[in-house]
Amino acid sequence: MRGKGTKRAKNGFFLSFLRKQESRRWENMNQEELNNRLSEIKDKLIDIEQTTDSRIFLLCEAENSYAVSKFLFEDVPLRFVIATGIDSEDCFEILYHFSNDETGCFVTVKAFIRDRENPAIESIAPFLPAAEWIEREIHDILGIDFNNHPDMRRLILADNWPEGVYPLRKDTKLPVRLVDDEPSGRPTVQSKSPACRTVQLSKPVLPVGPFHPLQEEMEFFQLTVDGEIVTDIDVRISYNHRGIEKISETLQFDQVPFLVSRVCGICSASHPLAYINAVEEIAGITPPDRAQYVRVIINELERIHSHLLWVGLAGHFIGYDTVFMWSWKYREPVLDLLEEITGNRNNYGNVKVGGCREDIPNELKPKILKEMDKLEKKIEMLTKAVLDDPVIHARLKGVGTLSNEDAIKYAVAGPTARGSGVAIDVRRDDPYAAYADLDWKVIVQHEGDVFAKAVVRLLEVLEAIKIIRQAINKLPDGPIAIEVREIPPGEACGRAEAPRGETFHYVRSDGGNRPIRHKIRAPSFVNVPSFRASCIGQHIADVTITLAAVDPCYSCTERLAVIDGHNNVLHDYDALLKLSRQKTARIKKELGAPELKLEDF
Amino acid sequence: MIEALQNVFWILIFPGFVFTIVLGLVASWIVRKVSALVQWRVGPPLFQPFYDVMKLMGKETLIPQDAQRTVFIVAPLVGLSGVLLLSTMLGVAAFWPGETFVGDIIVAIYLMVLPSLALILGSSASASPHATIGTSREMKLVMGYELPLVLAFIVVIIKTGGQLNLAAIAEYTPALSISGMLAFLAALLCVQAKLGFVPFDIAESETEVASGIIIEYSGALLAVWKLMQAMMLVALPLFLVMVFLGGFGTTAGWPLVCGIGKYILVLVLLILIKNTNPRLRIDQAMKFFWVYCGIALVIAVILASIGSNYGINWL
Amino acid sequence: MSWKIWSLKKSIWVFHVNTGACNNCDIEIVNLLTPKYDVERFGIKIVGSPRHADALLVTGVVTAQAAPRLREVYRQTAKPCVVFAIGACACETGIFNGGYHVVGPVDKIIREIDPNAIIAYVPGCPPKPEAMISGVVKALSVL
Repeated sequence: MRGKGTKRAKNGFFLSFLRKQESRRWENMNQEELNNRLSEIKDKLIDIEQTTDSRIFLLCEAENSYAVSKFLFEDVPLRFVIATGIDSEDCFEILYHFSNDETGCFVTVKAFIRDRENPAIESIAPFLPAAEWIEREIHDILGIDFNNHPDMRRLILADNWPEGVYPLRKDTKLPVRLVDDEPSGRPTVQSKSPACRTVQLSKPVLPVGPFHPLQEEMEFFQLTVDGEIVTDIDVRISYNHRGIEKISETLQFDQVPFLVSRVCGICSASHPLAYINAVEEIAGITPPDRAQYVRVIINELERIHSHLLWVGLAGHFIGYDTVFMWSWKYREPVLDLLEEITGNRNNYGNVKVGGCREDIPNELKPKILKEMDKLEKKIEMLTKAVLDDPVIHARLKGVGTLSNEDAIKYAVAGPTARGSGVAIDVRRDDPYAAYADLDWKVIVQHEGDVFAKAVVRLLEVLEAIKIIRQAINKLPDGPIAIEVREIPPGEACGRAEAPRGETFHYVRSDGGNRPIRHKIRAPSFVNVPSFRASCIGQHIADVTITLAAVDPCYSCTERLAVIDGHNNVLHDYDALLKLSRQKTARIKKELGAPELKLEDF
Repeated sequence: MIEALQNVFWILIFPGFVFTIVLGLVASWIVRKVSALVQWRVGPPLFQPFYDVMKLMGKETLIPQDAQRTVFIVAPLVGLSGVLLLSTMLGVAAFWPGETFVGDIIVAIYLMVLPSLALILGSSASASPHATIGTSREMKLVMGYELPLVLAFIVVIIKTGGQLNLAAIAEYTPALSISGMLAFLAALLCVQAKLGFVPFDIAESETEVASGIIIEYSGALLAVWKLMQAMMLVALPLFLVMVFLGGFGTTAGWPLVCGIGKYILVLVLLILIKNTNPRLRIDQAMKFFWVYCGIALVIAVILASIGSNYGINWL
Repeated sequence: MSWKIWSLKKSIWVFHVNTGACNNCDIEIVNLLTPKYDVERFGIKIVGSPRHADALLVTGVVTAQAAPRLREVYRQTAKPCVVFAIGACACETGIFNGGYHVVGPVDKIIREIDPNAIIAYVPGCPPKPEAMISGVVKALSVL
């Protein structure tokens, strides 16, 4: 095997992309200082609980939660993660989770709403746009009112879900009978539009006309344009809402990993790992070392094939179908490797509470190393070709820029954040599995545009290959799992770094063998709303690539439509895609650049 | 009587309907196969376009409620008949030069517009807001390339000393001169746009269907559109061969081989341009046609006039 | 066998519908286009409109929000057409059985409007691309 030194010398251009870690918005703080700062608002709290070294719960009444959250977000300052709503027996609880990335500590504000008849709490969205969506979701599923919320509309329940039925309340009778009020008959049908923002759009009903395939998806993203520039966007999600959190309460603790790995197909190793981190924290157990390393290897392999998928899609959007075919062709060896280890190309089902289910046989180790070598060569070639191409520079630089301030306000995670100079990475900040023992870099860029995010992802693939090599070489012997008999009562927050960003799970147990509350936050939940900040002011030809840069799941990017002020559909997804490619072609002509050449194999 | 039968034979069998359809579907297979090979794939089998058309004939035809029924149904048929007549005329001019008439090149230019017009009519009759977008784009594109195309033919007419008979023009090889080569290249790009190929396409590469234009069509009517597009792959390159490259030799032996070779050359050029370029935006395409092509063709017209006036053949 | 069915077997144009899936099945469907599997060899093409489609590749458990859309897409598809329920979720809701937002697997929704619909099931979570191709071939041989 070639030594690392020679590789670095040959590929000197990489050094220009690997910068020192950026000092974050958060001052260098250690745990003691954090505790001191938290005691400043002691007067507003009922109590401060500390379950482990890095998990702090601030209990307060609902009236004080606004002030406490504001203090945590603006004064300390901490990063907002998500909020959880819980229906406890005698009250409602709203948990606002904040993270201190310097120490990896979680600070959760636990607000009690005592009034069960008319539960209400002050919304924190006015100073924290990242909380807008989650408060709408809690209102949908628990019926809690958020006062002064800027935009309280239905978010995740279907249009024909009856009002006043809140699925996550303990006393709600399920299943609910849904009535479809669509007319029967064929083929031209007018569709009911979602509730429109009354600020920008004058007419409430958006006529869609007989073009139905997009009707299924066209209500997902609606962009309002002025000429060729985007002025506003609106998002309707609900199509993928399967009620996983409720189903989780009906499964036993060791059945839940199979459920959550199907939350999103490409983060299917990260979700169970985050959940299991939470459960193992409640139970106070540490899995054996070999299991920790195996978890690292599986997660990094997933990171590789997820980022390659993104590269292919991005190439497809700007018109380089060869890049699309090429990078998806090179996902295949990684998927084959995962299939050899775990038995499935995608939903691995390899983690369980207490360890892993499938071991990596020692005979497989040389093969993995060989595949990594082959892949590294190809990825380096792709990185060089893609990042040096002047047309790609012209097409992606300065496009879809998410500023550092917006990245913090929308509390984004993953490459979306690291591309805008927010240097957060769960693997380093709050190490889980074996990441603390391995040597790798966090890739950070500062421009915040699509090009920066592409750089971050491509270089992360190379870092992932490095991590896998180290993990394979250091793989310790020993058992692959320990037996876990029961989970004591308690609550915990667990997280993992998915390819798209931080995946967060909150689990509460009452000593039984099912979780009584399981909150799941996928990274796209905070990344997709930031699309609003990065898209407004952009040309419509750049809309598809800007959304793709956030790396939502594949089907999300199909759901785009552009409407003008009078609710006429100007462009559907195909037209937007075409605009994007035409812009690439125009830039190519201006630069006189030749077609991107990728070597054949 | 014999003449009527002969006309029927020309229009329906050779070089008309049957011949053009078969050759057109084979040509569209060549296009798909080459695209697949460029992407490291294998691509469809030879008879795939035939299966596609047959299958479409067997599907039901859905007509949107709000559509203009008559125009919706008649538009593809109009387009098909336009291409059919065009290819018949060209084939007759190639194989039976004595039966042509003076001015048939002008008729041919008119017939060439029919397919594009039919597309525009058909999609506006679809009553779909998405088709409307595609329609307006297609209209702009047609306005863009029709003028340069006609200018290119005018160059040829000047160079051949005012000949308006296809068979007579086919005797000359205008492409072997500066103005002729300019005109040939401009006409090639206009044909690229007319066929709906990259870089002037409206279609998505996965669907190969004009997004918004024929999106509301299904079943037999869609089959007619597909046939029309396939037949254009025969008629338009053949037109270029007849006008610019010295005709389609029809006596067996070397001239016939040369003729087939010229047709394949034009087809290959079209495929090459398609596979090596990304797409252009509509205003960029308009600018390309009106400004760059227009200027080049004006220069070509001037050169051709000078050349034919003073008998300089290579100008 | 009638020529319609014969030519349908030779040239199947598919339209992909996602009714609330985790995207694994969707990505495996797109994988079918890539050089390793290359379904264009069999005449299978992914089209952008159900009016041009002969087969619907439906993934996902059908959520309440997606159900009306699925019905509408099925109505728009020109018959004859085959509905492929891809993945365990589409075949019988898989692991999401009993969820409050899940209105039932694909065949329940489609049979509400067309009791004689032709539905083929390709189970798996996700089904491998080879399994999807095999499922399509088997369905065609039964047609």
